[in-house]
Amino acid sequence: MIQAVVDGVLTGGVYALMAAGLTLIFGVMDIINVAQGIFVVLGAYLSYVLSVHLGIDLFVGLLITMPAMFVVGVVVQWVFISRLGERERTAMSILATYAIAIMIEGILGLVFSDNYVELNAWYVTRSYHVFGFYLPYIYVFGFVLAAVLLGAIYLMLYKTRFGASVRASLQDRSAARLVGVNVDRVATITFGIGVAVTAAGGMVYGATNSFNPNTGYDLISRLLTIVILGGLGSIGGALGAAVCMLVLEDVVAVVWSPVWAPFVFFAALVVVLSVRPTGLFGRSSARAQ
Amino acid sequence: MTDYEAATPADPHADASRPLLEVSGVIAGYGGGDVLQGVTFSVPQGSITCIVGPNGAGKSTVLAALSGLLRPRAGSIVFGGRSLVGLSARQILGTGLVLVPQNHSLFREMTVRENVEMGAFTVRDSAVVRARLEAIEEQFPIVRERAKEKAGSLSGGQQRLVEFARSLMLDPTLVVLDEPSMGLDPKTLRQVFATVKAMNSAGRTILLVEQNARAALKLSTHGIVLESGVVRLTGTGREVLEHPEIEELYLGGAVSDRLGLRRDGLMRR
Ligand SMILES: Nc1ncnc2c1ncn2[C@@H]1O[C@H](COP(=O)(O)OP(=O)(O)OP(=O)(O)O)[C@@H](O)[C@H]1O
Ligand SMILES: [Mg+2]
Repeated sequence: MIQAVVDGVLTGGVYALMAAGLTLIFGVMDIINVAQGIFVVLGAYLSYVLSVHLGIDLFVGLLITMPAMFVVGVVVQWVFISRLGERERTAMSILATYAIAIMIEGILGLVFSDNYVELNAWYVTRSYHVFGFYLPYIYVFGFVLAAVLLGAIYLMLYKTRFGASVRASLQDRSAARLVGVNVDRVATITFGIGVAVTAAGGMVYGATNSFNPNTGYDLISRLLTIVILGGLGSIGGALGAAVCMLVLEDVVAVVWSPVWAPFVFFAALVVVLSVRPTGLFGRSSARAQ
Repeated sequence: MTDYEAATPADPHADASRPLLEVSGVIAGYGGGDVLQGVTFSVPQGSITCIVGPNGAGKSTVLAALSGLLRPRAGSIVFGGRSLVGLSARQILGTGLVLVPQNHSLFREMTVRENVEMGAFTVRDSAVVRARLEAIEEQFPIVRERAKEKAGSLSGGQQRLVEFARSLMLDPTLVVLDEPSMGLDPKTLRQVFATVKAMNSAGRTILLVEQNARAALKLSTHGIVLESGVVRLTGTGREVLEHPEIEELYLGGAVSDRLGLRRDGLMRR
């Protein structure tokens, strides 16, 4: 039981990172990036290629995969997203990013086939034994990685000039434009950052789960649940929701049955949204329009 | 990415005989039809120029075109001898023209001070920003008093003043205000109008849009009546204020009960 809570918190950290990327993109651009799940899988495959074919350590490989995913994000935003009009933007973005997800899934299927693979390293198979718990190193390392990257995002948002322009765009796009923020550039870089974190998320996910090109669907439904529960556009909310949900899921799996765990995830979404439509942590008017 | 420092600010003394801002034949819209159907007017240096007109006339659209939020389909906008058409909002800011929009535009989750500092976002030199902030705090005590509060927690009138404060951070030549008095009680309204007057006395040219037409025109040196996307009348503030038809239509003249009917008649021409 306590083991389940600890596991939930550790994996929750990684989901929080992936969800933070998603919610940041929504906040700044009103874009719901349904492709975030497949980006995670793509990130995992990049790590797979680097470690299996080039023998690069999974964590060291992030120095390559994160910038690579940043570029993927920037290109996707530039080619597909920036062409969407202002009208019905959110709805159109779901269609556009869904199309992107299908394309990437198809390409991954061609290159890697549908066979499940997983990432391997010494820290994937070994575990800490503390207070009678059984903690795989990768869970701990993954959590630390997520915490560091989330901390970096926080510092970027609150301590830099660029961060100020992101927050301004998030709160009022046209006012941001009027004080001289280049909102289009902010949007592109934000999209890049939001996608870059999937490289880290994908690596940890791939080291703790086996995956194939279809894994993106399961991931995106979880990530969307987390982001909605946390209140769309709220990073703090996404962190809280990610940890709550993963703990809940793990506890249910132990106490009840693993079969029920994913169900609980979505049941919680329905219950919370019918009570608080703005999400667990959402504020009713966080965004001025 | 033109920086504020790098941009060439409009030189108000370039040619004293020319107006600071000349708008001519501007046609613009939002993708559907054209909202502005050839708008022509000018704003003299040092004036308070007021645009009045019914809801939906296109007043805010004119200001959007001036500030670079909306690109005109045709026509010219010359500010201090420099064409603004095709420039980005950021570049236009650098020429010395700033817009305070109709809807509240503070960053609600940022503090009052952060908001005012955002007014100088394009200035990279933090010493310059600090000096400007201090000068602004002298003018707008609320900026210092409520410095650490979230902008979203201020009342509508207080937010307006902070918006004014933010708009002055780049020391603009022309301040464009879209319905600054909207939703304010009479006392706050007088305070806001007094601030407008003070900004003008400090040497800034003001272009404002107002529904409170009578009070605004009294304050203004020049008036413009915009209707259905065209300028119907221009003149001094007094001329517009005393124009019989205008008085009847917008200023609540004797026949205010027939106002709706008469306005319809006018729009159909
Ligand atoms: N963002 C927009 N997208 C599409 N149409 C718009 C937009 N903004 C304004 N319009 C349309 O343009 C026309 C003029 O609007 P505008 O806001 O310029 O009027 P206004 O004179 O400022 O009115 P008000 O006094 O109510 O502020 C209206 O018919 C409006 O529906
Ligand atoms: Mg308006």
